[in-house]
Amino acid sequence: MKHLPEDPMIRELVRAQLSRRALLRGAGGVGVAAALAACGTGGGTAATASKPKPAVKDRSASDKIVRWANWPAYLDYDEKSKKYPTLEQFQQKTGIKASYAEDVDDNDSYYGKVQGQLKNGQDIGKDVIVLTDWMAGRMVRQGYVQKLDKANIPNATNLNPALQDVDFDKGRNYSLTWQSGYAGLAYRKDKVGRELKTISDLWAPDLKGKVVVLSEFRDTVGLLMMEQGVDISANFSEDDFNKGLDELQKQVDSGQIRQVKGNSYLEDLRSGNAIAAIGWSGDILLARFEEEDDNYTFTLPESGGTLWSDNLMVPIASPHKKNAETLMNYYYDPTVAATVAAYVNYICPVDGAKAAMEKIDPSLVDSPLIFPTEADLAKVKGFRTLSPDEETTYSEAFQKVIGN
Amino acid sequence: MTVAAGIGLGERQAGAGAPPPAVTERRSRRKLTPYLLLVPGMAWLAIFFIAPIVTLLSTSTQTRPEGAEIGVFTQTFRFANYLDALEGYGPEFGRSFLYALLATVLALAISYPLAYAIAFKAGRWRNLLLVLVVAPFFVSFLLRTVAWKQILADDAWVADLLRALSVIGPQTHIINSAPAVVIGITYNFLPFMILPIYASLERVDPRLMEAAGDLYSSALTTFRKVTIPLSMPGIVAGTLLTFIPAAGDYVNSALLGNKDTTMVGNVIDSRFLRVVDYPTAAVLSVTLMASILVLVGFYIRRAGTEELV
Amino acid sequence: MSRASKGTAQGQVDGGRDLRIGNVTKRFGSFVAVDDLSLTVPSGSFFALLGPSGCGKTTTLRMVAGLEEPSEGSILIGDQDVTFAKPYRRPVNTVFQSYALFPHLDIFENVAFGLRRRGSKEVKKQVDDALELVELGGFAKRKPAQLSGGQQQRVALARAIVNNPAVLLLDEPLGALDLKLRRQMQIELKRIQTEVGLTFVHVTHDQEEAMTMADTIAVMNNGRIEQLGNPEELYESPTTTFVANFLGQSNLIRSSVTGTSGTDVQLEVHGGRLAMPQSRRNGATDDLLIGVRPEKIRISPTGQDANAEQNELLGGVVTDASFTGVSTQYLVRMPWGQELMVFAQNVGVGGVLAPGTQVDLRWDPAHTFALDGSLDAGAGVQRDEGATPVPVG
Repeated sequence: MKHLPEDPMIRELVRAQLSRRALLRGAGGVGVAAALAACGTGGGTAATASKPKPAVKDRSASDKIVRWANWPAYLDYDEKSKKYPTLEQFQQKTGIKASYAEDVDDNDSYYGKVQGQLKNGQDIGKDVIVLTDWMAGRMVRQGYVQKLDKANIPNATNLNPALQDVDFDKGRNYSLTWQSGYAGLAYRKDKVGRELKTISDLWAPDLKGKVVVLSEFRDTVGLLMMEQGVDISANFSEDDFNKGLDELQKQVDSGQIRQVKGNSYLEDLRSGNAIAAIGWSGDILLARFEEEDDNYTFTLPESGGTLWSDNLMVPIASPHKKNAETLMNYYYDPTVAATVAAYVNYICPVDGAKAAMEKIDPSLVDSPLIFPTEADLAKVKGFRTLSPDEETTYSEAFQKVIGN
Repeated sequence: MTVAAGIGLGERQAGAGAPPPAVTERRSRRKLTPYLLLVPGMAWLAIFFIAPIVTLLSTSTQTRPEGAEIGVFTQTFRFANYLDALEGYGPEFGRSFLYALLATVLALAISYPLAYAIAFKAGRWRNLLLVLVVAPFFVSFLLRTVAWKQILADDAWVADLLRALSVIGPQTHIINSAPAVVIGITYNFLPFMILPIYASLERVDPRLMEAAGDLYSSALTTFRKVTIPLSMPGIVAGTLLTFIPAAGDYVNSALLGNKDTTMVGNVIDSRFLRVVDYPTAAVLSVTLMASILVLVGFYIRRAGTEELV
Repeated sequence: MSRASKGTAQGQVDGGRDLRIGNVTKRFGSFVAVDDLSLTVPSGSFFALLGPSGCGKTTTLRMVAGLEEPSEGSILIGDQDVTFAKPYRRPVNTVFQSYALFPHLDIFENVAFGLRRRGSKEVKKQVDDALELVELGGFAKRKPAQLSGGQQQRVALARAIVNNPAVLLLDEPLGALDLKLRRQMQIELKRIQTEVGLTFVHVTHDQEEAMTMADTIAVMNNGRIEQLGNPEELYESPTTTFVANFLGQSNLIRSSVTGTSGTDVQLEVHGGRLAMPQSRRNGATDDLLIGVRPEKIRISPTGQDANAEQNELLGGVVTDASFTGVSTQYLVRMPWGQELMVFAQNVGVGGVLAPGTQVDLRWDPAHTFALDGSLDAGAGVQRDEGATPVPVG
């Protein structure tokens, strides 16, 4: 995000498109037609999804390339050379040519785009993709990603123990964490005029119409459920979910929550349309950095925040799995991981990166949003993996509440 | 194409000085040639229009079996899907057509005088003005809409001004409202309205207006009885080019609206991408398409453009 | 605006509704299109404004129609000053050169257009009558694009006539038609004008068209009227070289007055002696251009047909002879170098005189006209019609 145009207006616009998670929902729309067409070819009529079994030979040895699809502004970037320094270094070290594309701007849209091909066991033209926990879970469950050969990723042992045994990928056979982040209270301290500590603080009368929330139900409803004392990582019931949703409905209907359309909460926060939000940690750090305004505040609610991670995976039918594994291994080197973390400002999943950070940027060593404290980690929970039925039901109910 | 041309050539050779049977064969081949020329176009249509439509129709009557994986549906010919969707999303349909209609009327009101001025009054500025009309197209649709978000924001000058003039209350916002959505749609489709109207006005012979004046028409009557009827093809084309995409639009509602401005396009988007409920998305798409088709059919018949030469 | 009077039945002549143009000048920037023009078109007449393109005739017409405003002067129809009246407030209708039929309306509605605007009663009958008049009775439901050029022209005429205007303006109405159709329409237009009795003001650059149809012709040049009169007057007694050359062809020969004898003027032409009636002399000075029409001259081989009563020019040589059937057109080079044109009717025997033949030219003194010698002898020559310019010796 350090390579934005000078003109403030244009910058605002570009930023609106680039911001890692505050992406416009509309952008996903392009995928609708493509996905609609694709769903026809997949023969989505079978009641049980038969997992694709493509006959793909790994050509990594002869074909020294790796194709990586990631989210925008999610890798260290050098303004002057217009290159990604760590990726350059990877190419020099391994002789594998990496083509990097900021192709993923939304979990759902990306799934919509590639699902048809994956279902047929076709190469989607990517060897590494990065998706959030719940979507990664769906990919693993549906057999759309390849099993990793840990022998090729010795550095995988550097993965933070807390992330090693996730419910959607027991033993991390199919995925490795790229970065993590929190959802919690985000606000502009000067405009609010006080500190916000709990989710209920958002419902203060003077914030009416000035509150925005995320359109990811796991984060927004998740935080509301935690406020209600539900452990979102445990086996909660549909009632628990609905109670959280009811609270959301109440606040939306009363006009307390200004609007949850699209994923533009950060923009609303920046433009002043909203002054408090349920938002993501990285976005707020980014806003603080870019606006040079320390009033952008992120805090975990007293009842706790949600923790999410994005995960590196190798899609089915990728003929360069070994190259992909080499890439993962490289980014699990603590120094490389610290270099990336210093740029992207998200929670670094690699043990040893904190020590490496001393040499790269000592000022970030104590940033709790990159290297979380034990206390913080105790306060956050990951949303448990939902069954397909639950996911469909909850998603639909949430979309209805936010007016879609 | 090559095939058709080849047949045409061979047939000519056979036809030269050929006995009667060959002549009849030649005739039948000649009849065939135009159809052969249609093949590429028809194939295109079959692959990129008919096949998706069939898929869409088929998807619309599928259901998701209990406990099945996300994105898995079975064909159960459940036509009640349509009833469910119409029952559940009636207001969204109504809104889509209302906003599209309002935006079309607004766009027409803005475009006609502008197109008229460019066609008849602009002189040497004409080309520059036309370029300016098209210029917004060089910017992405999304960015243009996002720009409106900035313009209509709570602390931007438009809202400040309206508040200062007491047109809106201190707590009212313009952004995230139905008017903002209609403004956005109007703006985004304005060139689609201006250009066809301009094109048809530009072809109007100014001498016809002189003739109308000569035949006792005041400027206003001339406009009503000659200029408007002669620009009808442009008006019809412009309103269709605005209304049809506007009715299916979802970007403006997503960026400039609120939860009470949801249009069908937004529901399709969310059913398709967020909920992965393809049947409902397909039902809504089919219904939207069919209702637009019916509306447009009535409109064209009413406007009577087929009579215009 | 007396709308009531306009509803009168077709064919009635509105007697007191002369068109009077008084000292009208029209400037476009520094260009003077119409220069202090005055003329009166009597009600019920067929009046032609004739002149080459750019002479100001169309501008004059447009000022009468109200499509241009005069820079100076006044335009009256009857007692009504319409100088600055809007077009739709004038009892004037125009048949446009391009016809300007409304493509979105059928023929009936095109013709009914003016009537409907004025809220006329009995539209159907009037339109049917008008279409009948132009012999397009069965075409009411067609669109203009489905008609031929000649039929469109008639519709344009019917659309104007049906309003029974005080003045009907026709702007080169036959310009777009082919020659044969144009001839037909000339006769047709004249018939219609006689039948309905309206005042027709017809703008044309075609002298033959003007002479065929008009009662009175105003020949215009450079924004002014050169001469006004009936076709015969203009042809037989042009008062300027422009008119002499623009209407038909003339042989113009430099001469000087040597005296008078009775009602005749005695002239000297390159050594020869000629006479002409004093009444046909224009130009007060002794330096004159005398004119004679080519068809008035008789041509004969040198030494034959001598006749003292006739004007004689001797010693010519035939340089060109074109046989056209009805007549033979000769070019004869005179001793002083000028080529004169002679049209000889093929009435007798003896055949065509071959180029190189020595000839004498003779004509009746009464057929001679004289113009001011200071005028440009080449003015008004219509080069585009292939006529050889007549050099003056």
